[in-house]
Amino acid sequence: MKKTLGLLLTVLMILGLAACGSETQEPTTEEGFSPALDTSTDCHITVAGGYDNFEALEAEFDSFNEYYPNVELTFTKVDDYNNMIGMVLDGNDAPDIYVNYSWMYGRDQYKSSIDHAEDLSDPALGLDLDCIRSNIILNTSDGTLPMVPVFANTYGMLVNNDLFEKEGLSVPTTYKELVDVCNAFREKGYENPMMGFTNEETTSVFTLTAYPYFCETVANDAEAVKKLNALDPSAGEYMRPTLEKMTQFMNDGCVDTDACAEIADNYEAVILRFFEGDVPMMTCSGDTVSGTKKRESRSEAFIASPFTYTFVPVPMSDEGANFLDMSNLQFSVNKDSENLDMANEFMRFLIRPQELNKMAQNKGLMSPTKDLSFNSVYAAFGEVDESRILSPEVIGLTDDAVIQLRQAVYGVATGTMTIDEAVAAYGTFTQ
Amino acid sequence: MKKTFILIVNVVIMAAILVFVVLYSRSESAASYRRQIEHFEDSTVTMEQVTENYLESEQRICDVWARYISNEKMSMEEAAEYIRSSHVLGSTSAHLISLDTLTGLSSRPKQGTDDDYAVSYQRIGLLENTGWIDEVGESVNITRAYTNPMNGEQSLAFCNAIKLYDRENGTPRDAVLLRVIPVSVLEQKWVFPQTELVNAELSLIDANGDYILKGDSFKNASFFEFYKSYNSTDPGSSGELFDRITSSTGSVPMINSHKQECILAFTPVSAASGWTLLGLVPTKDLNIDTENWLLVGVISAGLLMMFICDLFYMLYLNKRLQATAREAESANKAKTDFLSTMSHDIRTPMNAIIGLTTIADKNLGDVESTRESLRKISLASNHLLTLINDILDISKVESGKLKLSPLTFSIVETVENLVTVSQPMIKEKNIEFSFHINQMEKEYLYTDQLRLNQIYINILSNAIKYTEPGGRVSVDMRQEKSEKPGCIKLTYVVSDTGIGMSPEFMANMYQPFSRQTDSRVNSIQGTGLGLAITKQMVELLDGTIECQSEQGKGTTFTVVLDIPVADRQREDMQLDSIEVLIVDDDETMLQTTVDILESLGASAEQAQNGLEALGMIEHRHLSGRDYDAIITDWKMPEIDGLETIKRIRAEIDADIPILLISAYDWSDIEDKAKAAGANAFVSKPLFRSTLYDKINDLIGKESSSVEPEDDYSDLHGLHILIAEDNDINWEIISAILAMYGITTERAENGRICVDMMREAAKGSYELIFMDIQMPEMNGLDATRAIRKLEDPWASSIPIVAMTADAFSENVTECLEAGMNGHIAKPVDVKLVIKEIRRIKDGGGQL
Repeated sequence: MKKTLGLLLTVLMILGLAACGSETQEPTTEEGFSPALDTSTDCHITVAGGYDNFEALEAEFDSFNEYYPNVELTFTKVDDYNNMIGMVLDGNDAPDIYVNYSWMYGRDQYKSSIDHAEDLSDPALGLDLDCIRSNIILNTSDGTLPMVPVFANTYGMLVNNDLFEKEGLSVPTTYKELVDVCNAFREKGYENPMMGFTNEETTSVFTLTAYPYFCETVANDAEAVKKLNALDPSAGEYMRPTLEKMTQFMNDGCVDTDACAEIADNYEAVILRFFEGDVPMMTCSGDTVSGTKKRESRSEAFIASPFTYTFVPVPMSDEGANFLDMSNLQFSVNKDSENLDMANEFMRFLIRPQELNKMAQNKGLMSPTKDLSFNSVYAAFGEVDESRILSPEVIGLTDDAVIQLRQAVYGVATGTMTIDEAVAAYGTFTQ
Repeated sequence: MKKTFILIVNVVIMAAILVFVVLYSRSESAASYRRQIEHFEDSTVTMEQVTENYLESEQRICDVWARYISNEKMSMEEAAEYIRSSHVLGSTSAHLISLDTLTGLSSRPKQGTDDDYAVSYQRIGLLENTGWIDEVGESVNITRAYTNPMNGEQSLAFCNAIKLYDRENGTPRDAVLLRVIPVSVLEQKWVFPQTELVNAELSLIDANGDYILKGDSFKNASFFEFYKSYNSTDPGSSGELFDRITSSTGSVPMINSHKQECILAFTPVSAASGWTLLGLVPTKDLNIDTENWLLVGVISAGLLMMFICDLFYMLYLNKRLQATAREAESANKAKTDFLSTMSHDIRTPMNAIIGLTTIADKNLGDVESTRESLRKISLASNHLLTLINDILDISKVESGKLKLSPLTFSIVETVENLVTVSQPMIKEKNIEFSFHINQMEKEYLYTDQLRLNQIYINILSNAIKYTEPGGRVSVDMRQEKSEKPGCIKLTYVVSDTGIGMSPEFMANMYQPFSRQTDSRVNSIQGTGLGLAITKQMVELLDGTIECQSEQGKGTTFTVVLDIPVADRQREDMQLDSIEVLIVDDDETMLQTTVDILESLGASAEQAQNGLEALGMIEHRHLSGRDYDAIITDWKMPEIDGLETIKRIRAEIDADIPILLISAYDWSDIEDKAKAAGANAFVSKPLFRSTLYDKINDLIGKESSSVEPEDDYSDLHGLHILIAEDNDINWEIISAILAMYGITTERAENGRICVDMMREAAKGSYELIFMDIQMPEMNGLDATRAIRKLEDPWASSIPIVAMTADAFSENVTECLEAGMNGHIAKPVDVKLVIKEIRRIKDGGGQL
């Protein structure tokens, strides 16, 4: 008994001593990623982009540092990004990874941005490209892949779910339901059942609602797309169904343009107006949705009366809503990078569903991965029938052609043009 | 319970020491950490001064350009040309931007061109509002880091508002001069100089928290947003913190994007209103690890080892203590038992002495009864003396005070003494006794004779004591070559047919106070110390003792000692060429004697009994070749030695020298031997020297009769001085000596003795018997004083100690003091006479 007591006291002392030791923190490891390079590598990787802040990417830097603690990763904002990135890539401050856009592809003024990009389709790089929706992966003429999307974008409307629940209404899935819901809300005293930015064309309520509808009308008509891209004046007729739909939409009274005109911009003002809590539906782009989370704390109304909201496609067709699937931000690797191996290693780390989803969620943007269910805000888009998912990349409409539509829709919706005038003006609109 | 308490106390003390070490170490670490933070704050302030100096110097260059351009009322082209000619550093450039168009000229061409100097700031977002640009020379006007539109490099620009004039009409236009410096150039200079702050980074922020210059570890476009992203805070407290950061100098802890604890140092930049210089360093870089875990580990391990060692040592000590306690308990019990036995054993002879004294006193008229009583008193006294000697010896053995007093002695005398001492018991118990010697070539040896005697006597007396009447005891002694140089190996083997010993007893038989529990043994007087003393003494003499015993069959003790041979030996002993007949039924004895005689030069014949001897003697006699001497044993079958002698004398030759030998006491057969016609007697065993002496005596004296041993006429008339303070002792010794015709004179103490010697005429005394412990002057001092007397006779007079100090060291002490011999009290009369004779024959001459 005494011997046992002695031993017990000794063991207690040893354990006590062990407890005095400093805690060791094991790095959190993430399933599915195994470092391919020497984890003690010491280098500096710069990612260039146009954002003022890119906290979501910086969070990925931190995660990557768990594997490569000596790799310093920084995000650098390049002013006037689209125009400057080519020069930056040719200069002394060339980044290792940079933001790229698929619309730059094929345009001479952005040639440098494409020429500096490494072909990321090379299987040797080990990027998990299969996790990304094929709609938003750039299809190049030579089969190379100069960039991969890290965020996606779409058009839709923010829905105040609490109001729908409170009033016993369902989120509309067809155009008729949309009109009915708007009327129902109005009858229940809601002056603006549906709002959106109207002061400029860019991401105006008109563009956001008409563009997906337009894509649906030409998606399977290669001839139409060809004409539209050629800015053939006769192609203006392809816009007519969309312009008529827009006229119907305005006549159905879903949107009060006077009220919408009070929304000063298409980003913060849109969000803060929605957070007032009296608007059941607010059209916006995915970019705008990404700003909602941060602004919850800046809206006194939302702080006072918080509610749940989601982002859903706008049902402009009687057959249902279309999911306009577009790439947002894409990353390229500078093939002249001094630390090309480590830049590729970071891309291999980033282009995986868990990291892309995490970054998209942190940023508040739509993830480019096939699974959208992880984020309740965007989950509705994941439930859209595959036949109603439309991709400008796949349809092949050029930006110039889309600009014609957007301007025509804006002119008709705001009453500055008739449908006929707008159709006739096809190919003459400018940004 | 106490052990548990001590264990707990030990562990608590160790834990307290460790806690102290850890706390002290942490306290030191915290103090060091605080000093490091202060040092970092100071470094940040220093960097602010460096930054300020740098910014001001760069701004001054821009100011000089601006003043000159304004004063000279230059057009944009002229100003550009002027700046191009003023450039020194290749890395910097200057932009002249007209505020109405936000376009202008650069001092350096656009990247990739040689002559395109046009520059646009329309999409940079820097110059839409120029209110922050003060008048020339008033302050530092610096932009945030931006992308240089001419080369795409991240750059900073020092600015001044200037007026440029239209070359054609002289109209002034508002413009801005930007001295553009790449951030990479600045970063190379803008680092903490201290090596310990290698991971520290700097940032410059404006009043809104937006970076003007941004270190790599700073995230976001705004420091405040960066702080809020990685540090949990509420709007109120973060607002207070940001106010503090932008308005004072100090430091706060914060978490960086790597989730590392960091220290943020901040200080306002005095050169630019609202700007703050931030320094950020990981805490671990400041937290110099004074928590010396190695020290703590070593102390812990040391304490633990000490604890374990102490624990085991305590257990070991406890076991030892328990064993010692058991031994002490056992020894105590043995001593108690011994005292009980002693009480009995001492009281028994004392009872005999007192009782028999009383009987003798009451029967003074009955001479026979009185003699018998006195004889028994003597026996009881001797036993009591042995008992006391044993007790004293064992006490000395146990206290480690037993010392050897080696001296030259005769092994022959030792054996003779051994036989003599044993004879009474042998005779009393009617034990068959034999003593064989073999190869006893060296007579004089050098060792502690007293201890050797004690060993031999103890073993032999035990053998006799524990052998039933009618039993047999035999002794074998032999000399062999020893491995030790200058020594002989003396082996002494005593075998008996006694009661033997049990294995259990044999395991402890050398332990003091142990006696075998046996009804037969209990009736035998003994102290239980004999074997213990013997064993100790054998070991003291560096020898071995072995024992083989079987209960009911007997015991054999073997003692082997390596004893140095004395320098003094008998000179070469050679007899004349004589013929000797040896008669003995013991073949071993017969052969040994023949060997000895032949080695002495005699020719020996042997006969195994009396009749055979008679035949051989008669045959020789008839042939006219008589033996020169006949040596016959006493105890023989058919006709014994005495009968053989009688027949020789009667029937063959009345004059032939005959020597009777026996292992038995001469006194028992003395009268009969003399009557039969024996010329001399010698005890077994027969030593070479003894035979040599006796045969020479026989041949020389022819048929002279045996000299009686109780002839003390040689002692008559001797006068001895006895120094003795005790009246009774004086009375006893003087009376004893008077019986032998020796006169005595008494000195009551040492001083009187010395005085008497000083005044005595030459030849007044033959010797002095000196007591040791006496008043005024003890015997040793008295001896020394006598040895210093001037009179040669007085100073050389033989002095023999006669004292109760009976230990060997007492003997040595006496001899060293100048004495010639030592007799222990109570005195043995025979020893006294023997000592007187030795002195008288010159053995005591100095």
